[in-house]
Amino acid sequence: MKVRILRCKTPDSDQYWEAFDYNGTTDISVAGLLEFLNYNDDIINDKGEKTTRIGWECSCLQGVCGACAMVINDVPALACETFIKDLKGEEIVLRPLRKFPVIHDLMVDRSMIQENLKSADIYIGEYKPGKKKEHALQYNAAKCLKCGLCLEVCPNYTNGNTFYGALFANDCYLVATRNAEKAKTIRKVYGEHFGRGCSKALSCMDVCPVNISTLASMAKLNRG
Amino acid sequence: MKRVLIIGSGISGLSCAIRCAGYGIHATLISPYPSERAQSVMAAGGINAVTEECEEGDSVDSHIENTLRGGAYIGGKKAVSGLCGNAEEIIRYLESIGTVFTVGTDGRPYTRAFGGQTHKRTYFCGASTGKQIVSALVMEARRYEGIGLIERRMGLCFHSALIKDGACYGALVFDEKTRTIETVYSDCVVMAVGGQNSLFGKTTGSSLCDGYAAGRLFRQGAVLKNLEFIQYHPTTLETSQKRILISEAVRGEGGRLFYTEDGKRVYFMEDKYGPNGNLMTRDVVSREIYSASKEVFLDISFKDKQFIDSYLPEVRDICRKFRNIDISREPIPVAPSVHFFMGGLAVNLNHETNIRNLYAVGECASMYHGANRLGGNSLLAAIYSGNIAADDISGRESALKNVDFKDMADHANMELKGMLDSDSPFPVMYVRDMLAETMRKHLGIVRTEESLVKGIEDVEYDLSVSDRIKYDGSVSAYTNYSLKGILTLARAVLSCAKFRKESRGAHYRSDYPKESEEFGCATLISFDNGDYSIRSDKEGVYES
Repeated sequence: MKVRILRCKTPDSDQYWEAFDYNGTTDISVAGLLEFLNYNDDIINDKGEKTTRIGWECSCLQGVCGACAMVINDVPALACETFIKDLKGEEIVLRPLRKFPVIHDLMVDRSMIQENLKSADIYIGEYKPGKKKEHALQYNAAKCLKCGLCLEVCPNYTNGNTFYGALFANDCYLVATRNAEKAKTIRKVYGEHFGRGCSKALSCMDVCPVNISTLASMAKLNRG
Repeated sequence: MKRVLIIGSGISGLSCAIRCAGYGIHATLISPYPSERAQSVMAAGGINAVTEECEEGDSVDSHIENTLRGGAYIGGKKAVSGLCGNAEEIIRYLESIGTVFTVGTDGRPYTRAFGGQTHKRTYFCGASTGKQIVSALVMEARRYEGIGLIERRMGLCFHSALIKDGACYGALVFDEKTRTIETVYSDCVVMAVGGQNSLFGKTTGSSLCDGYAAGRLFRQGAVLKNLEFIQYHPTTLETSQKRILISEAVRGEGGRLFYTEDGKRVYFMEDKYGPNGNLMTRDVVSREIYSASKEVFLDISFKDKQFIDSYLPEVRDICRKFRNIDISREPIPVAPSVHFFMGGLAVNLNHETNIRNLYAVGECASMYHGANRLGGNSLLAAIYSGNIAADDISGRESALKNVDFKDMADHANMELKGMLDSDSPFPVMYVRDMLAETMRKHLGIVRTEESLVKGIEDVEYDLSVSDRIKYDGSVSAYTNYSLKGILTLARAVLSCAKFRKESRGAHYRSDYPKESEEFGCATLISFDNGDYSIRSDKEGVYES
């Protein structure tokens, strides 16, 4: 099996493709595959040439930190919970998330996520819940990994623009429902940075690794 | 305005930053990645507290006693009393900032039972308590970011502390993007860097917690404590990429451990310790599983699916995703794995190290847990320690007077440049893998003098190799320069385990299987001109 990876040495250098041969088990995740390729003392590509270790980000290796988000066979996903046996086709193609600046190989700079949330001043402040009990939705919204997969797949999001994407909408929902007194203010910034720009493709929900229902968040914020 | 530099942005670092900001102190939070990547998000089961809504008969004194007993009575009573006595306030605080606790029909947070505790006092958020707390704290920190009291700087790694005449004035930090070392001055530095996972390769925790900072500070004069106490969590699941934690919440909700003999299930923990046997402390359960020498399972399938969906959704998902196991129909195969480090930087009751103005909080500090930590006490300690350090810092005078570490920074940058300009035939990852193999082999659940001596020899060899490694360009510069600190820490851990000639808590020596009064206190270790000096803290300097 060929593993083709879109690589990049430094933030300023050009991207290039490099392929590797893999003949091991398919019962491992893409994270396991990357660890396997990186494990040897010498890293050899499919042409038999010595190359550098593949850079990728990881922390938890169990789908709760969002570090290893990347594009796997054209689908944005977490490497640690995407198994090779579930992938279609004869080769595996890995590339970094396209919506963020590349730092090195499969690692990208996602700091814009935090910057946007900071600039819009998204915080609960004080727990003052409204009358409606929506514990399950709030619990799920608070599980957002800030991995950026929803932004990667979104037709409306581009890095540096004023549309902040699904993760922003879900944080807005959390603030509005955990502190009812802030609901009005939050709805305003929600409209400004999400509501007006969302074309309702809802592809964000297909790729969210923790299954956050952005539609439910939108429904709450749109209806008031 | 006073300035504090906090290294690490998990729960303890965030708590400290928020509390400092509340005092009007400027906090700079430095970390390679955002808080969502911190190991804190992996904390599953819950956070202990005795509150006014507590179970009948429970008390703060009981929480204190359980914690001390769970730690085999080498945790300090004063420190533990502070921790448990402030737990209710911490739960109220977490509620007040919007943490999504699991609640009952009355809207009040629920509690569940956890190991080694006489009462049900563990508050929780499904089985993702750490993640939910991180989400709430990140938002709260953002409130202070907006008014300029908290500044987040990502993409930076700790290099070393600025220390002069026994006091700390800031830190050198490394920027992987620019590949340079920067000097950051501050009135106080707070280390919130987590545990020492990479000594063992993979553990249940984050691969980002590597122990480098503790090793480096040790070489710079910081005293380390209780390094030999390493918690093996009894219930972890083998997957193709690591052993994943199966939260103690499963046993807290009634899960039963068993193995099969002659076609029959043997509930060995209940047989030996009675009806609550599954909820013995983690050190005991791990040793029992180890000595069973059979495949052990954890069963919760007798609970109905709706219960599992409501209270253990994350455990359900992990088992399904990584092993295709439906926990509502079948038991989970489990075995112990390295999970938590009770040892770390020695700190006093205010979480200050032996170096003035240098603090340590969260898992990187050795405090409260003695020889074995109770489930539900780590999240509590992470928040409490961050708060306590901030409280102490708030009462300090500004220390920054005419200090200049330019020479040190220039030297560090020159050393780094020399390293980056060189090329080494030794792959750093190979040495890291060798170290992990050594530690797993010689610092397992059961230890012996002979094995520990061999382990020390192996790490000494790795250390001698590390001196010859210049630069392995196939990994990051941080991975290169952190190697020596990690190896030094590993050497210190093995030395402490050899020093403690008894069995206590998570430290079990088959050649000294009994507890000994002589060792009824903490182990301290310092680095004196290349020597590893070890002593028992008989005077109780650090947390009595």
